[in-house]
Amino acid sequence: MKVKTLIASMAVALGVTLSTGIAAAQTLTMGVRGGPESLDPHYSALGSHAEAAKHIYDTLVWSGDDLQIEPGLATSWKPIDDLTWEFKLREGVKFHDGSDFDAEDVKFSIERIPAVSGPTTTTIYVRRVADVEIIDPYTIHIKTNGPAATLPYDFVRLFIVSAEAAKDYSTPETASAGFNGGPAAVGTGPYKLVSWEPKGDLVLERFDDYWRGKGAWEKVIRKEIPNDSSRLAALKAGQVDVINYVSSVDYLALQRDSSVDAVVGDSVYIMNLQLDQRDDTPLVRAKDGSKLAKNPLQNPMVREAIDLAIDRETMVEIVLEGLGKPANQMMPPGFFGSSEAIPARVHDAAKAKELLAKAGYPDGFEIDLYCTSDRLPGDGAICQGLGQMFSQVGIKTNVNAVSKTVYFPAQSRLEYSVFMNGWGTLTGEASYTLGALAHSKNPEVKMGAFNRVAYKNDKVDELMQKGAMTLDADARRALYEQAMVLTMEDRVYIPVVQLQTVWAAKAGKLTFQPRFDEDTLAFFIKPKN
Amino acid sequence: MLGFVIQRLLQAFLVMVAMSIIVFVGVYAIGNPIEIIIPPEATEEIRQAVIQKLGLDLPLWQQYFIFVTNLVQGDFGRSYIYNLPVLELIAGRLPATLELVLISIISATVIGVTLGVYAGYRPNSIISKLIMAVSVLGFSVPSFWVGLILILTFAVNMGVLPAGGRGEVVTILGMDWSFLTLDGLSHILLPALNLAFFKLAMMIRLARAGTREIMLTDTIKFARAAGISEGRILRRHLMKLISVPIITVFGLELGSTLAFAVVTETIFSWPGIGKLIIDSISVLDRPVMVAYLILTALLFVLINLTVDLVFAMIDPRIRAGAQ
Repeated sequence: MKVKTLIASMAVALGVTLSTGIAAAQTLTMGVRGGPESLDPHYSALGSHAEAAKHIYDTLVWSGDDLQIEPGLATSWKPIDDLTWEFKLREGVKFHDGSDFDAEDVKFSIERIPAVSGPTTTTIYVRRVADVEIIDPYTIHIKTNGPAATLPYDFVRLFIVSAEAAKDYSTPETASAGFNGGPAAVGTGPYKLVSWEPKGDLVLERFDDYWRGKGAWEKVIRKEIPNDSSRLAALKAGQVDVINYVSSVDYLALQRDSSVDAVVGDSVYIMNLQLDQRDDTPLVRAKDGSKLAKNPLQNPMVREAIDLAIDRETMVEIVLEGLGKPANQMMPPGFFGSSEAIPARVHDAAKAKELLAKAGYPDGFEIDLYCTSDRLPGDGAICQGLGQMFSQVGIKTNVNAVSKTVYFPAQSRLEYSVFMNGWGTLTGEASYTLGALAHSKNPEVKMGAFNRVAYKNDKVDELMQKGAMTLDADARRALYEQAMVLTMEDRVYIPVVQLQTVWAAKAGKLTFQPRFDEDTLAFFIKPKN
Repeated sequence: MLGFVIQRLLQAFLVMVAMSIIVFVGVYAIGNPIEIIIPPEATEEIRQAVIQKLGLDLPLWQQYFIFVTNLVQGDFGRSYIYNLPVLELIAGRLPATLELVLISIISATVIGVTLGVYAGYRPNSIISKLIMAVSVLGFSVPSFWVGLILILTFAVNMGVLPAGGRGEVVTILGMDWSFLTLDGLSHILLPALNLAFFKLAMMIRLARAGTREIMLTDTIKFARAAGISEGRILRRHLMKLISVPIITVFGLELGSTLAFAVVTETIFSWPGIGKLIIDSISVLDRPVMVAYLILTALLFVLINLTVDLVFAMIDPRIRAGAQ
């Protein structure tokens, strides 16, 4: 009896699975690794949070597939004096509740951010804003606290909420309740919120009056499945139509599987090796364990030797299973401020040994190399690879690939000498990357916050500071390119590889363009005809 | 009996106080969540503001004091990550874990004890040997592997059951339950099976050992001599005698599975508290970690208390021994 009931219920379950498959023709189900932390778009600055928010809300400035800025809810912008940016707003845009979008909503959204921002704070997007002035319903002036050349880049994650709907939900206590499925979750985005629970499914319904046009899917379900294997299993079992972040091991297997299409896109993340420049660095020593007279990483010849020791082609082919590209600078090519003048880096172990000998280390020395093992695809493996390559030229390397929860706190306490982590230029321009890493640490000019290797090049500092005040885009680009060239010549930051990201979808069902920021956005995924 | 209850309650309270200190200090020693949750672009002022807002600038004892003061008022604090009250987060996910665990433990116990008693009663039959072989397998194969094989077989290759998630739910008493819908049931089947596998093996072994031992005692011999039917002997005498160790194990397993169904929940993307805690650990969401561990400790204390009290009722000698 018991067994019969079980079989019966399994048979019915099968029927249910099949029938939802047919009814779901207009539904897109996405399996993604990370989810939002709240549906208040102003709560968190995390990438997965913004990715979810982009389904419901629009941003003032849109960041395109290659992270270069494009019109969003603002149709144009220009600096009108050193301290003012003028934004023209798009007319005829409707909120989900049918009300019109105008300058009031922009002002409200900008001013709301500091009040409701969570620990991963969104105030970074409005840190340069001193005041918002409404000129007319479709024109605003943003007053900045000093010349702010990159303001439009800051606004790519400035989500606009409805002033009317959100006004009662703008304190830390009320915000989550109002937005997580509540009355405040009204945007101008392609999809309307149906339901959401933390770490669970985000269910969305098409907004027919979307200003970019109607989305392809009537219903979108965004399932959060953090485990890589589970996500792939869900795709293969037909529970989801598309998944992001396929691991390189699974990617190899998928290439032999005709039921699944894999889409490879360049990622914005570049793995950087960082070399501590302090006089007394903790984790570098002679091979017999004794202390060295000087920090060898301060010697340009040693840094060049380390650079030459890295075989980037092999790293990509063997370690990353082809899912990456050799990197020669800290940003992907084409980004604002990346330089075409920088040559590809070469691998020359013999010359590396020679340089080490010339620098006074004929027998090399010993280092502890630290990196994350659970943050970006392949991070731990790249680290192991580097360890072997360094050992080959005589630098004995103890590889420590540790969890990010251990790595980042220790890195910020400056406990490491040689370390590698990924850095994504999420705004698509150089001040984000060089300003945080290459500029010397200087809270006064708000730069160098992530410079944890005591790197200081006065010329780079000058260029970056000048860039931040140069409102003319071409002039600024030239300054940033020069700063990039100088930083790369110093080899305190040594880029290793640019990662790539893999999506997988049911074969022949979907088309979509991979994005640099790795977002998986339902609106831009179309059914294949 | 009353004295026994009071004594046990007092012990339970002391255990909880000790646990809260250990948990708090332990979790706070792991690391500073600031580096994980604040983005690189944050300026020093933003950083300081967040640190202050989360109370991370206070000395440990002061943080503990605030925590305990709130705790006494039933407030476990707010999650750093979600800005939601921790209790709400945990309570929202408890039903998912509860139904998964109850279904797997109860079915493992019912099936396991039945099979175990059979194997102990007829130790030489082929079926008994088969049962024992299965139980060896249950012990020796790691549960994450079984989970992956289940997904591979039923979800990926045969495509008859979903690979993960919870499926359709029904809301009763303000909580979502999935075992009441067919879709939900199809989602629960594999993870429950996965979770039940090890416990099934344990229950079989426990019941078999108990049965073999007791079938040889004088009690059973006299009962048989007195002409009591075999069925009645099994039901009335055997089951009662082997039930004490089984209740103990049932209680402990219930607690540990509720608290640590982590592996199964992760593999099957089951949105329960196990998955919540793993996610929270990876971002160092301290309030959630602390609340979870404290509630887990409370759970064990309560289960042990209940088991002790049940024993005391069944067997007066335990009561007497404690006094």
